Parts: sequence; structure tokens; C-alpha cells
Amino acid sequence: MDRRTFTKVASLSALSASSMARAVAPAVKPLRLGVIGGGSRGQEVMRQFLHLPGVSVRAVADIYPPRQAEVERLTGAPVRFMADYKTLLAMDDLDAILIASPLACHAEHMIAAAKRGLPIYGEKAMGFHPQECQQIVDAVVSNKTLFQVGHQYRYASWAQESYRRIRAGQIGKPTHIYAYWHRNGNWRRPVPANDPTGYLEHLINWRLYRETSGGLVTELGSHHLDMANWIFGEVPSSVLGTSSICRYHDGRTVGDNTLATFNYSEGRKLFFSSITDNAKNGNELWVYGDEGSVQITMEDATFYYEKSKRSAPIAPSGQTVVQHGIVTGSSYSTAGEMPYRGEGERIGTQAYEDSTLTAVRSFVEAVHGEHPVQADVYVGYGSSIASAVAHEAVFTEEKAAIPALKTT
Amino acid sequence: MIRVTCLRIAVALAMAFCGHAQSTSQPTLYTFRHPAMGTEFALYLYANDEASARPIADEAFDEVDRIEQELSNYRPSSELSRINQQAAAAPVTTDPETFGFLEVAQHWSETSGGAFDMTVGPLMKVWGFFDHSGRIPSQTELDRVRASVGYRNVQLDAATRTVHFRAAGVELDPGGIGKGFAVDAVVRILHAHHIQAALISAGSSTLYALGSPPGQRGWRVVVPGVGDDKQGISTVWLHDTSLSSANCNEKHFTVDGHLYCHIMDPRTLRPVEGRVHVSIIDPSATTSDALSNVLFVDTPAESEAFLQRYAPEARALIVSGNAAAPRCSTYRWQEPVDATHCPALSSQGR
Repeated sequence: MDRRTFTKVASLSALSASSMARAVAPAVKPLRLGVIGGGSRGQEVMRQFLHLPGVSVRAVADIYPPRQAEVERLTGAPVRFMADYKTLLAMDDLDAILIASPLACHAEHMIAAAKRGLPIYGEKAMGFHPQECQQIVDAVVSNKTLFQVGHQYRYASWAQESYRRIRAGQIGKPTHIYAYWHRNGNWRRPVPANDPTGYLEHLINWRLYRETSGGLVTELGSHHLDMANWIFGEVPSSVLGTSSICRYHDGRTVGDNTLATFNYSEGRKLFFSSITDNAKNGNELWVYGDEGSVQITMEDATFYYEKSKRSAPIAPSGQTVVQHGIVTGSSYSTAGEMPYRGEGERIGTQAYEDSTLTAVRSFVEAVHGEHPVQADVYVGYGSSIASAVAHEAVFTEEKAAIPALKTT
Repeated sequence: MIRVTCLRIAVALAMAFCGHAQSTSQPTLYTFRHPAMGTEFALYLYANDEASARPIADEAFDEVDRIEQELSNYRPSSELSRINQQAAAAPVTTDPETFGFLEVAQHWSETSGGAFDMTVGPLMKVWGFFDHSGRIPSQTELDRVRASVGYRNVQLDAATRTVHFRAAGVELDPGGIGKGFAVDAVVRILHAHHIQAALISAGSSTLYALGSPPGQRGWRVVVPGVGDDKQGISTVWLHDTSLSSANCNEKHFTVDGHLYCHIMDPRTLRPVEGRVHVSIIDPSATTSDALSNVLFVDTPAESEAFLQRYAPEARALIVSGNAAAPRCSTYRWQEPVDATHCPALSSQGR
């Protein structure tokens, strides 16, 4: 995505998030949702959709039967439930599709849904393997399908305001982004007892296995990648990473920690760190410029400013030094090297709204033709291609090139 | 590769759903704790090993966190906060779970004539209980919040799943029912995993006993004594039911020797006087949590009439008076009550 597209996305986001946009919204229009993937994330996105007037969940496709009861408790009514997503896509009474299936199924589901022509809200990361990311873009573009990727954080009001301020130069030129998603938990979901072959283990805990999971750098880091792409205005060109299993020796084949460096033009970098046995840092992203920093979290953003580098004009009192001299001594002061521990300028605490709700509202507005999609398929490509390459790079521990989108 | 992976999973499922294996090993008690909703949740769970117990505990506490994120009035990002911020201006569409929660709360508000009332939010703030400062508000402050307190200010429309406040300044406070709602959600998860014996406790004020520990007739729960009395005044054995308690031991303030309790009578806009402790047993933790407030606010006689009409299956122990001279009354309470430390309340006192 080029800089112009990013700027367009930013301005549209600001419009959608404003109360003005909601105040002038037309009367309630129905939107019947079909859902592929009714697991934990799918249920949370469905819940947010149901906060919007006129939205109903018409059908859910999921190969795990217990999801039906979970979904019906969520929707408060019987929902047409099926194992085969193709049956769902063949329904003629749907207005949009939510795809929240496991990552390894995204391409199959998204490409089929794109061919069906219905608007798609597709969870991140968009594609698993690098070639799938390109295939999804091609399918969405060639079928002229409305597509929004589930990068909800860029819809958050505090992220929007941070982006605006960064673009306005308030922290100088942003050159480095340090992103963390640190948790204290094994990332494991419970599996029914009767699973002698381990199939349910792989179905439910698909995030733990390399053949179905993008690992921490994808499942968690793709959000930070999207934010970095947004702020830097481009997709990284290469990545260098590492990963290991140091805590949870439970048969998983993706790391329980990872560290990756993404390289952007002009030497700019995103450093992503994820560990799963200490949650002190939580989920945060620091953007550093030569004049300041901003910390962006899931609930707010806080700006800090560097001490002025320019010397103040010499005051007349300088004569005192001339007259009395100065006392010689040790020149080293730790003060200049200590972390800043004062308050910052916190933004985003007014009119707070869950970022997923803001994102799905924007999607519904886009489906109703009120504005273009903000986090479109190109945004999805930017983060998913980088995380797909990074997923392999953390195993090889070699620098890997990130392919640019091929446009026809 | 994608098709192969997805197909493989589907075939695996068909093979896997053939019933639940029965374990023959002796289960062990595992304890897990988790801070949430301003307190500490505890899950006591019998399982064959920790490896199978921990993911269930993680899922249970994730569910508690999810519900807190949905219903907390301390979190500006919660769905309840969104409703509090917007429902006075226009009807707010909410999800079925939140709407169902509000319907249950409204049901108990209506049936109790406002003894239980989620609109106590502004009242909790002027009395300083929202931020734990504790203070006596002026009459002017009470007059200011009077119009916004009252369940009749909340209009629920099931057809559109919308919430609308009829007055400005209405704030829903889930404190009297939210923990019970979370406990019921955990119980659903435990049932889904075919757990035979577990106890989930929300800070000990609301708990649910699932099954019984091996060889026991239930989970042992002690209703504590009052004041300096370290002896319990009654012990119950719970099996597939919940118990909720309300008292002022931990959340109150004292001015000039007078104790002001955090439990409000929404009808008088003042803390409840004359009640020391209540415990109520009901199959639903949401119900027992809400009704513990009703029983704390109403007189024992009013509570008995209320339970007979609206919750006849419930069992309750009510301690009235004060710490120096507690008096007990019961409703269908089947276990002995220590009359030495808590004499029965005379019918005159009811």
C-alpha cells in the first residue's frame, strides 16, 4: 500500500469514529450475518456485531458441534448451524460474511466467500502462507468484493488521534517502534477427555502447532505489524527473528516466546516481543521519534516528549560564573540516563468504545454504502504477508525478504 | 495444503465424538485463584491431574474476565459503561447476553419493589463507596441523585433489544448481581467439561457447589459468626446449588461510632440499618446474589413473604440487630443455627 492510500484510510477512519458520523446515520437497516468459525474470537466479534441495531446472526458454519450451543447462547435464539461452510455460502438470505475460522483455513474460506460476492469481515491474520495472502487479494479484487480485515486497533479513537499527532510531527520523525504482547499463560484451551488420537487437541489448540498456527508473531504480532505499517506508511521489506520453547514443554511446535525485527525503508524498524510467562508489559506499542514517544495500548495512548535539545539563551546571570568560577568535580550524572518516570499526556479516555465494536460498526456502514472500507484487503495483506514470512523466519533465524504485493 | 488440513480436522471430529471416556483414577483437588471483579475468585476442582485441570480453570477465569469486561461499571470500555453513557440520550442496542442480564436484574427489581435495584450507581458514588472513600453526603447531594435512582427509570425493549433511561444521570451498578452471573457462567463451563465436583467462589460472597467432594455429602460452607464471635453460627453442605451472602464486615465506614454499610436501600437513599448478615441458597447464583440484597434491605418478615411468593425453593438465614446483639431468623434453612451466639428473632421483631 502506498502513502496516499494510507492517508485516505486515516481520514476515513476519523470520520467513521466521530459521533457526528453516527448522529447523521440513516434509519436502521437490517444486516443478516453468516459466520464461518464460531470459536472464541468468532463469538466475540459476533457479540460486538449484535451491539448494532439491525444486525442479526442468521447462520454459523463450524466443524466443532459444541459451538452450536455456545453460539445460540450468545445470540439468544436458534441459529442455523452447519458443518460445511459451502452450505452457508449457498444461502440466499445473507448480507455479509464474518470469517473467524482457524488461520490455516482463512484462504480457503475467504477466497470462496469472495467468489460468492458477499461483503466479508475477515479476521486477522488474513492469510497463513505467503502465497495465500496474494491469492486472497486477487480473489477479493477480481470479484470486487467488499472486504474488511479484523485489525480493530486502528479504528480505536486513541489510535486515530495518535496517528494524527504522529503525522503532524508531534514526536518528530518516527523511526523505531517497540511492540510487546506479553502474557502469563500457556495459551492452551481445554480439550475433551476422549481424544486418543490427539485430533481434538489439534483442532482446539491449533494455535500451538506449526502446521496450523502462525505462532505468536502472527496470532498476536499481526496487530502491531498493522499499526507499524500504518504509522510508517509501508510494508516492511524483511524480517529477522528467533523463537524457542522455554516454559511450556507440552508437545507444542510453535514457540512460547518470540522476538522479531521488521525492517522498513530508511532504516526504520519494528521490534516485536512476545513471551508467555510474564505479563508485566502486557500489550503495548511504543513509537519513538527524535522529539517524543507515544505508548499505545488496548485502552488508551500516552504521549511523552524528549527534553529540548536546543540550548537556552545565555542569561545575564552567567556573569556569576565568570566572577566566581565553578567547582570542579565528577562530570557524570545519572539523571540524563534514567528512564523517564513522570506523567505523560494521556489521550483517548473520553467517549471510550471497544475497538472491535468501532470496527464492526464501520464495516456495517461500509456495507450500507456510507463510506469505503478502511482496513481493506491491502491493509490485510501488509500485516499478513509480513507475519507469514516472519513465522518461518523465527524458525530459520535467518533474514527473510518480505514480498511486495503483485498488482495486475 | 489448506484443504487437506481442514478436511483432516473434519474427519478427526467424526471419529472423536463417540462419547466421553470414564476415568478410573482417583481425582485430586486442585485450587486455582484469579483476581477479578474487585475480589478474588477461587476454583476448587477435582480432576485426574493438573494438566487436565488447569486449562479448565483458565477457561473459567477467562469467562469471568470476559463477563467483567462486559458488565463492569469500573471499566470505561465495558458494554455496561457504554449503556450508562448513551442510554439517556437514545435507546442503546445491546447483545442478547447483556440484555438478558438486565432483564433478570429488572425482574428482581420489580418483584422486590426496588429493594434490589441496579440503578444505585449514583447513590454509591455520593456515599463514597464507588472509590472506597466512604462519606456522608449532604441532603443537597441526595436530592440531586434522587431523580436518577430507581429501576423504573430503566426501559427495556425485548423486541429491539434496546435499553433506554427515562432520566438523565442513571447509572447501572452490577455490584449486587454481577458476581452471581459470572459464577453461573463458570458453572456452565464446568458442566461442559463434565466436571463431577468443584466449588467456584467469587470472593466467598457468592459461590456454587458442583457435585460433592469424593465421599462427602456436599461442599461444607460455614456461615460466620458476627463481630468478635469466631465460631460459625451455622454450617451447610451444598450440592449442585449456590449460596450468596451479604454483610457489612468489609465494606463500610464509621462516623461518630455509627457504622454505615455499603448496601443501600434504594428507596430511602441511605445505607441499610439493622441487618448484619444474610445468606441465601438457590440453584441459580445470579438469583442468590440478587436476592441477598433483597433480604438485606427488607425486614425478615418482608423477606419471608417475598421468598414464599417469588423464590419458594430458596433457603435463607438472616442475622438482624447489631454485632453486639445479633438475632437470627430463617426461611427453610435446614441446618442448625447456633442459638447461643445468635438467638432467634422474636416474631415481634420480624
